[in-house]
Amino acid sequence: MPIFSKKNSIDIAFSTITAVAALTVLVVICGIVAVLFKESWPAIQKFGFFRFLFTVEWNPVTSVFGAASAVYGTIVTTGIALLIAFPTAVGIAIFVTEIAPNALKGPIGAAIELLAAIPSIIYGMWGLFTLAPIMSQYIEPFLQKYLGNLPLFKTLLAGTPMGIDLLTASVILSIMIIPFTASIARDAFNLTPGVVKESAYAMGATQWEVVKDVVIPHAKLGVFGGAALSLGRALGETMAVAFVLGNNHKIATSLFDAASTITVTLANEFAEADSDMYLSSLYYLALVLFGLSFITLAVAKLFLLRAEGKHSR
Amino acid sequence: MKREHYRKIINYSALSLSGLAALAGLFWLVFILGDVLVHGIGALRFELFLQDPVPAGMTGGGLRNAFIGQLMITFFATLIGVPVGVLGGTFLAEYARGTTFARVISVLSDIMVSVPSIVIGAFVYAVLVKPLHHFSGWAGAVALAVIMIPVVLRTTEDMLTLVPWTVREAAFALGAPYYKVILQVVYRGAATGILTGVLLSMARVAGETAPLLFTSFNNTFYSTDMNGPVASLTVTIFQYAMGPYDDWHQQAWAASFVITLFILMLTVSGRMLLKWRYKK
Repeated sequence: MPIFSKKNSIDIAFSTITAVAALTVLVVICGIVAVLFKESWPAIQKFGFFRFLFTVEWNPVTSVFGAASAVYGTIVTTGIALLIAFPTAVGIAIFVTEIAPNALKGPIGAAIELLAAIPSIIYGMWGLFTLAPIMSQYIEPFLQKYLGNLPLFKTLLAGTPMGIDLLTASVILSIMIIPFTASIARDAFNLTPGVVKESAYAMGATQWEVVKDVVIPHAKLGVFGGAALSLGRALGETMAVAFVLGNNHKIATSLFDAASTITVTLANEFAEADSDMYLSSLYYLALVLFGLSFITLAVAKLFLLRAEGKHSR
Repeated sequence: MKREHYRKIINYSALSLSGLAALAGLFWLVFILGDVLVHGIGALRFELFLQDPVPAGMTGGGLRNAFIGQLMITFFATLIGVPVGVLGGTFLAEYARGTTFARVISVLSDIMVSVPSIVIGAFVYAVLVKPLHHFSGWAGAVALAVIMIPVVLRTTEDMLTLVPWTVREAAFALGAPYYKVILQVVYRGAATGILTGVLLSMARVAGETAPLLFTSFNNTFYSTDMNGPVASLTVTIFQYAMGPYDDWHQQAWAASFVITLFILMLTVSGRMLLKWRYKK
């Protein structure tokens, strides 16, 4: 930069102010880690790391806290959500980049991205009042009737469908994360050089073969990055899940069972925590969640940066 | 011949599946928005904006306190978050352009954008609520500002980078110091983009509930005191929707409708602004 050669006092002041502003991001991240550690320290000392993670009991009365049920709920809901959302999102990206007529590409892409703008509390409201009754009356009995007798599904689909359960929460989460994966996958697909696609067409490949053998391998990193990003998002989603999951601290083997996630536990119990150990354990949960999502998001970012680097070269 | 048929069939079925996926996405959008629209418009009344809540279980009343509270919290969050974000983005794109420091902050901000908002709520609770022993509107505003900063910072950085370097050189050649170049030339070129970032970040935080649950908490009374608990629409929606009364549910739907409309308008206008400015 040529500018630093001639120093001007106002310029130094201005650059310092902007530098401080930029540093706030770093300060906040370090602050979050420090505060979460400090607040959860009593619980860390009492329960340890692995014992906390693998204890199912969550009992404020006897002051025994374990994260297993909440971590289990978090992983199951995000896992199923990703399982539903990923193929749908990739399908949307293929449709928007390769199949849709040019006039429709923009509008459909924008409409899908609008899904990301709807606040999570609205997803929660809709889930509780509209989706949950539909799930309990139609979809869940249907699944039970046709899949309920298969060996694995017998346990997965056991119980009376109430609508307030793991499956409903996962479906809502999946809708919420579709736009993230879809828009990143779309951008990645768009980076495939036209010449490469055309040469595949010239060899007589069908449209699907071009997508499957040229576009997707080319955009692999971006698509995985998008999926990891949505995973990180889904891990930390609170309100949409809080409405439809109940807050039930147990390892539910059936998808038709109420359960709990880290976020739901925090949302429901934080303001009511009456003992120090209770609050400390909640902070411990928050720390686990922060660690999980931070690592996931960092991996996502790594994928996306690599994808970017591949194309700028 | 047979193999070609087979390939054609695979082709059509795969492409139809991806078309179905797009339909599914659109279906959810229409389903959710339509549902909010139908329930919300049916429950919308003038009293909702003009009256405060009545005691639980009674019918009538409105959510004036929550509307005012939401506006206050969002306003102060913007007031804190936007300057910090814009200035931080300026540092990354101008003074620290191309340095490792700028890259690190930029990547960390991208991660911060998606960090669970409830964790930020817990963080602010430990810093601003626990030491002072009471919930406060300020804590809520700070929590939202923390969410806003990385969003604004990243858009600002991107938008400033889009301003051609030659424009700056032209100003330098006239003898202008860097801060003057930034304030009078670069900001002017990137104003629309920065404004878009601000609009989108406001849309992002206006719908946040989780970070407000234990910072600004909730308040059934009309209060403009940012030092005490302040009602917000989102937390009220959560409380009312989970509550047992039908009248509460109606009001929650109406509030959901208003807040969705507000956020979608912000988002769409931000997007359109961006498209209009960077069309070519």
